[in-house]
Amino acid sequence: MSLEVKVPSVGESITEVTIASWHKRDGDSVNADDVLCELESDKATFELNAESAGILRILVQEGETVPIGTLICRIEEKNGVQPAAKPVEKAAPKVEPTTPNTNRTPAITENKTQSMQETPQTTEVVEMKVPAVGESISEVTIANWTKKDGDQVQLDDVLCEIESDKATFELTAEASGTLRIVAQAGTTLAIGDLICKIEKGAAAGNGTQGGGVTPSKEMYSAPKEVLKEENKKSEEPGTQPAQTTPVADNQKTSSTSYATGHASPAAAKILAEKGIYNKEIKGTGIDGRITKADAVQAEKTQPKAPAGPQETAKPAVNQATASVPGSREQRRQKMTQLRKTVSRRLVAVKNETAMLTTFNEVDMKPIMEMRAKYKDKFKEKYNVGLGFMSFFTKAVCVALQEWPAVNAMIDGDEIVYNDFVDISIAVSAPKGLVVPVVRNAEQLSFAQIEAEIIRLAGRARDNKMTIEEMTGGTFTITNGGVFGSMMSTPIINAPQSAILGMHNIIERPVAINGQVEIRPMMYVALSYDHRIIDGRESVSFLVRVKQLLEDPARLLLGI
Amino acid sequence: MDYDVVIIGSGPGGYIAAVRCGQLGLKTAIIEKYETLGGTCLNVGCIPSKALLDSSEHYFNATHTFAAHGIELKDLQVNLPQMINRKGEVVKQTTDGIKFLMKKNKVTTYQGMGSFVNKNTILITDKNGGTQQITSKNIVIATGSKPASIPSIPLDKKRIITSTEALNLKEVPKHLIVIGAGVIGAELGSVYGRLGAKVSFVEFAGSMIPTMDGTMGKELQRAMKKLDTDFYFNHKVTSVENKGDEVVVIADNNKGGTLTLSGDYCLVAIGRKPYTEGLNLEKAGVQKDERGRIVVDEHLQTNVPGIYAIGDVIRGAMLAHKAEEEGVFVAETIVGQKPHINYLLIPNVVYTWPEVAGVGYTEEELKAKGIAYKTGAFPFKASGRARASMDTDGTVKVLADKQTDEILGVHMIGPRTADMIAEAVVAMEFRASAEDIGRMSHAHPTYTEALKEACLAATDNRALNI
Repeated sequence: MSLEVKVPSVGESITEVTIASWHKRDGDSVNADDVLCELESDKATFELNAESAGILRILVQEGETVPIGTLICRIEEKNGVQPAAKPVEKAAPKVEPTTPNTNRTPAITENKTQSMQETPQTTEVVEMKVPAVGESISEVTIANWTKKDGDQVQLDDVLCEIESDKATFELTAEASGTLRIVAQAGTTLAIGDLICKIEKGAAAGNGTQGGGVTPSKEMYSAPKEVLKEENKKSEEPGTQPAQTTPVADNQKTSSTSYATGHASPAAAKILAEKGIYNKEIKGTGIDGRITKADAVQAEKTQPKAPAGPQETAKPAVNQATASVPGSREQRRQKMTQLRKTVSRRLVAVKNETAMLTTFNEVDMKPIMEMRAKYKDKFKEKYNVGLGFMSFFTKAVCVALQEWPAVNAMIDGDEIVYNDFVDISIAVSAPKGLVVPVVRNAEQLSFAQIEAEIIRLAGRARDNKMTIEEMTGGTFTITNGGVFGSMMSTPIINAPQSAILGMHNIIERPVAINGQVEIRPMMYVALSYDHRIIDGRESVSFLVRVKQLLEDPARLLLGI
Repeated sequence: MDYDVVIIGSGPGGYIAAVRCGQLGLKTAIIEKYETLGGTCLNVGCIPSKALLDSSEHYFNATHTFAAHGIELKDLQVNLPQMINRKGEVVKQTTDGIKFLMKKNKVTTYQGMGSFVNKNTILITDKNGGTQQITSKNIVIATGSKPASIPSIPLDKKRIITSTEALNLKEVPKHLIVIGAGVIGAELGSVYGRLGAKVSFVEFAGSMIPTMDGTMGKELQRAMKKLDTDFYFNHKVTSVENKGDEVVVIADNNKGGTLTLSGDYCLVAIGRKPYTEGLNLEKAGVQKDERGRIVVDEHLQTNVPGIYAIGDVIRGAMLAHKAEEEGVFVAETIVGQKPHINYLLIPNVVYTWPEVAGVGYTEEELKAKGIAYKTGAFPFKASGRARASMDTDGTVKVLADKQTDEILGVHMIGPRTADMIAEAVVAMEFRASAEDIGRMSHAHPTYTEALKEACLAATDNRALNI
């Protein structure tokens, strides 16, 4: 069986290409993704990669110009067919005479023959599809593959990372075998779409070794090591084809091994800082190890861009202004699934609700005094700091229970009133905004609220947030003040009906009992959906929050 | 805030963190309780013990091997006070070096006891009781460890001593009883053993240096039998008593018997415990675990954001070079870099002679994990270099993955193995196979050839010189 390799269509208006150089020789054993040759068109030079592993048979020589679609080489698969096995058996006697240590060779021959007999077994293929990962998630993006096409994978090995709009999760192998990737990194797929296939038992040619060992690993196993050594000695030039099979080939092309994609300590740090996974770049070190130089260069190329939009990545520099000092480079990056969802939902809220914002201001002096007075005791007792968030959450809970419409949501033509208060807290996480939920906040103490927020924020920061932890929520608090915002109109976190915006605390002169006093003031904003919340309710709600914050004793007394 | 980073403790973790913070342009201060910088390692640990180990090794060679080398000496004697003086000089030079490093990297040094006022404020109390407060965005706790003790062993620091006092003895003990045959016990036991003391090791576990690869403990014990040593393994010490001129140690063995030993000194080397006394951690809300260690996350940050902890005071091996890596790690983390420490590849070293060093998995660990491995060993007896220097004790053992040949562990006992282990660390950081090292040229004649040979042995049992 052999695979025909034709000149691919490389772009509109290109009708022919020239074979610039062959990187492999006729008869070489090649691995999937090895560069076979360089093709030149009138516009660009590009590399042609092997689509599968096998023995290369070159049909068009260097320097020849051929039209698109011309067959230029074949790749004969080496482990599927009987003919390939024969040379091996022949090879053994050839080795024998020149080998000083002849008594070892027969054992090897036997070994080989046995394994070859086992190969023609039928390969069972397991198709892996995008699993249903949660309600309301209809599509996912393949973030990156941790295994490569053609890799041997074991059951439960992590194959790739999948991003949904809510979380990132890992896809594990459902079977052991050879991985055949169908959807490349960066592709967006619907639930149920095919991601990859695993050919069960494929290439398990080394049954005598105890099974499950990958071809690359095979080169290290003891008896074959000997064969490799001996073969090298006895090899005459030109007698390479097939007889040396996987063993010597691996050595020549130094394709993959257990260390492929392993980053050196310096490289690993650089990649971590750039947010690039080891698997996204190709190592140029021995056996595909990632060197420091590989890692340094990793940012210059656009490693994340999948096959398609690659062209759009670079040529953003305007020729005419190239003489202007300073970089004018632009970068294009695919939106993450999270960012896409955020953008889609925010626009939807703007379009589908009757949103408006009411403002008020809060004199923070009482809370600040209370905090100053009790924060050490509080910390000592609960091991968590007394922050503003617990006051706001508590005040909001009280107000929400008094104005249930603000805590309600529209579902079709019904209004759902919630008798509990689940507060979503907007948190800035490395991958973007996430909104974990503090559940039954009305039941929680100040200390419990603070502890829960710290726990959730920590998980958000470490990207460990589960979908569960972000779903639900009846009302949202967002604090733009931490970044210095003085005033804003937050957007409702659908399907909720209202959101409270906190802002920075600034000392401002205010009139108190006819006197001008300097007080720490915060503007608060409530954006709400006018469809179910009337002005009276929203304004009263916010005034109530203000009252509770300006006189926190009310929280205690419930008045 | 007065500082970007304040580091409490100037041991190898703390001072390295300070240097790296300085290099990264952070406004940095370091607080040290003692008069000299450098912590346990430089003052009463690694450096002084190595100074004495070398001195005692010279003496041992002068008395035992010089004759064979053709050097005849008469009236040889130990001048212990001079040995201790020289050790003091070494320590002084080294700690002065740290002072210079702090200056060079623009790190402010505070002398005094640091304690938390709150998560950003540190109170410094100097030895005269004077106080001052400084504030910092980030605080690194690097207060290290102290020798551990247990109630049944009352330390009096005269006859019943810890490693700290053992580095300043006025006389060579006649009979030194060492409780604990781990790294510290083995090192200091061999110092005084070489100087002529009889040394009895009483160890709870079943071998010397029980946390290292099993072969190492056995080989070390064999080598130490050249000194006047006795070993009592599987013994639990029940009482230690100072009777004026002698110390009596009583221990139960695991078969119901009782051992009574009397000597003139008893060195208690049962490990070290994290040291956080006087830090007032609760003021900042920093949590400790049940073993008194400060709890840190994978960024070495404590439960309080902005407060980090490194070295002996947190989980992991109590090794100076582990603390150093963590010092660099924290400094880089603070400025937003993303460093990484591969804890598996932090080597373990014992400075006995022969030295012991190991990195990666031990054979026992591989067995427990069910990883298929192969072993290659090469004894120093077969090394030309070792024969030339009469250092033929010991062996190098390489453990490699049975399928891939990747090196999983390297354990060596022999001359200068503490230096040799670095090659194994480099190889393993790059995930080299045993054959990779077997195919790299090693200068001849050197001790390092033994590693190459052991790798060849592991590859395919094809060591060349045995």
